[in-house]
Amino acid sequence: MIESSTGSSLSPLVELNGLSHFYGKFQAMKEVSFAVAPGAIGLVGQNGAGKSTLLKLLLGLMRPTSGGGSVLGCDLVREQHLLRGRIGFMPEAESLIPGVRGVDLVALAGELSGMPRQQALRRAHEVLSYLELDEVRYRKCDEYSVGMKQRLKLAAALVHDPQLLLLDEPTAGLDPQGRDSMLRLLHAIASRHGKSLILSTHLLGDIDRVCEQVIIVDRGSILGVGRIGDLRQHWRNRFRVRWRGEGTPFVQSLRDAGVAIEESPRPEQVLVDVPADWNNGRFFELASQHGVTLSDVVPEEEDLQQLYHRLIGS
Amino acid sequence: MQLTQAGYRTWDGERRSPWWGCWSLVRVGLMLIVRRWVFWILLGLGLLNFLFHFAFIYLKATIVVQNANMARFLDNYKVTGSGQAYADFMFAQATICALLLAFAGSTLIGSDYRQGGMVFCLSRGIGKWHYIVGKLLTIAAVVTIVTTIPALILFIEYGTLSNSFAYFIDNPRVLCGILGYGAVLAVVQSLMIFAIAAWVPRTVPLVMTWLGLFVLLKGLADAMRAIDDNRYWLLLGIWDDMHRIGRWCFGSLDESTIPSAGWCVTVLAAICAASLGLIVRRVKAVEVVS
Repeated sequence: MIESSTGSSLSPLVELNGLSHFYGKFQAMKEVSFAVAPGAIGLVGQNGAGKSTLLKLLLGLMRPTSGGGSVLGCDLVREQHLLRGRIGFMPEAESLIPGVRGVDLVALAGELSGMPRQQALRRAHEVLSYLELDEVRYRKCDEYSVGMKQRLKLAAALVHDPQLLLLDEPTAGLDPQGRDSMLRLLHAIASRHGKSLILSTHLLGDIDRVCEQVIIVDRGSILGVGRIGDLRQHWRNRFRVRWRGEGTPFVQSLRDAGVAIEESPRPEQVLVDVPADWNNGRFFELASQHGVTLSDVVPEEEDLQQLYHRLIGS
Repeated sequence: MQLTQAGYRTWDGERRSPWWGCWSLVRVGLMLIVRRWVFWILLGLGLLNFLFHFAFIYLKATIVVQNANMARFLDNYKVTGSGQAYADFMFAQATICALLLAFAGSTLIGSDYRQGGMVFCLSRGIGKWHYIVGKLLTIAAVVTIVTTIPALILFIEYGTLSNSFAYFIDNPRVLCGILGYGAVLAVVQSLMIFAIAAWVPRTVPLVMTWLGLFVLLKGLADAMRAIDDNRYWLLLGIWDDMHRIGRWCFGSLDESTIPSAGWCVTVLAAICAASLGLIVRRVKAVEVVS
């Protein structure tokens, strides 16, 4: 059992124990062990870090060379079919069947996931309407635009109402508007409809918008797992200071007091690193001495980008 | 954004066995083939042969009533209702079917490798064996539609147009022959085209490999037989091996100058096993690299 954000105990969505995978002699996964709670989870890493391999292992498409684990309580090695029936997978590659109409393709995905024919077809219509593809549902899938294909793949992943969605680069190839729309949709699926999702991407912005947990992968190893807020480093000595008025003498006085200043591109704002014995009351004293009005003194927090770079050591 | 406002309904129905997925693959596969014009051209060619036989049987039944001598003259032609006649008919149909499969293999199997259809299927609730069986059944269905079903229709026509239904009672071996030869064609051709299309997925190389396999091997078999005068060289001709087993099913195989049906079965069984091995290996490879 692992603890949720509200403090209650939850069965882990994914639990891996010493999982390794080799492609020939190349070790793509190195004794990975972690557990994550249900929710929206980002899987982030550079190209070749092992994100897609991890997704395929979680989906039961490949057997791990050693170790094991469970997803949604199903064993990764022994219950692969059952597992795939409860997971929706949206691959990065096109992965469509040319010549098949959109609605037939989504219905086929449902049937292959164990749905009876009639229910799969009815559900395909519903999901395509939900994803605003109802007007093109009778068009052959190879005639869809890139954005439509991405949504069609999402529809095929959603048709059997899975508990968990595995999304491999869902915004790849989308224009800014399409990307925004896809991220809103994923956020809605996770937050309103209670689906868990694992979003694999190298775009940290996508994860920041959709996910509350993150798994950071680098060269087949897991560098960090957990809630993004918990992983972020809270710098006790680092503050963002904003003011109104002529700030040059104020900033100089901070320097004189031993505060390290990092200029900000925005006017009337700096990032400061204060000495260990610093008292925050001195910000106000110095501001008052130099005739400026402080509008903000807030502890600075690591963003996802900084967190990622800190963990991978670059 | 509109789409996030739209409703999402849950589904909590009972899931069926993954083996039902095979039927879904067959249905979608057949739908893909019948939408291609090449299929209709080749099916039309096969239909011409069938219509000729169909009309000939009808004509013969009509003439028998009016002029018995004329009917004996018509018996010189091969449409006699015997096992040999059906074996020859199915052999001709199977030749057209081989052409059809050369194109269908690319649509059914090749495109799955080229365009990710296999990842689409295997990432659902089915395993690789369900996928393989589904695809094999699709190809077998095409073979059956072109070879076995027309032969069965001719068999029923011949029996129905004879004076009594004794034809059906007197010729059970013909029915067994049609079903047996049809099964051999379906099993061997589906395994072979799947294996070849899995490794040579593009249309033109696939057509060349598939047809070359039959033509070149038959030519090689005939050439070696001419040089060595050993009848077992004929086993190299896969197409003829299937025909020999078919004639054995009909009870019309003369084994005095050609290899026995047992040898043909052994060769074809080995080819089927090798094809299955190649298919399984290729499906595994795609699981890894996709």
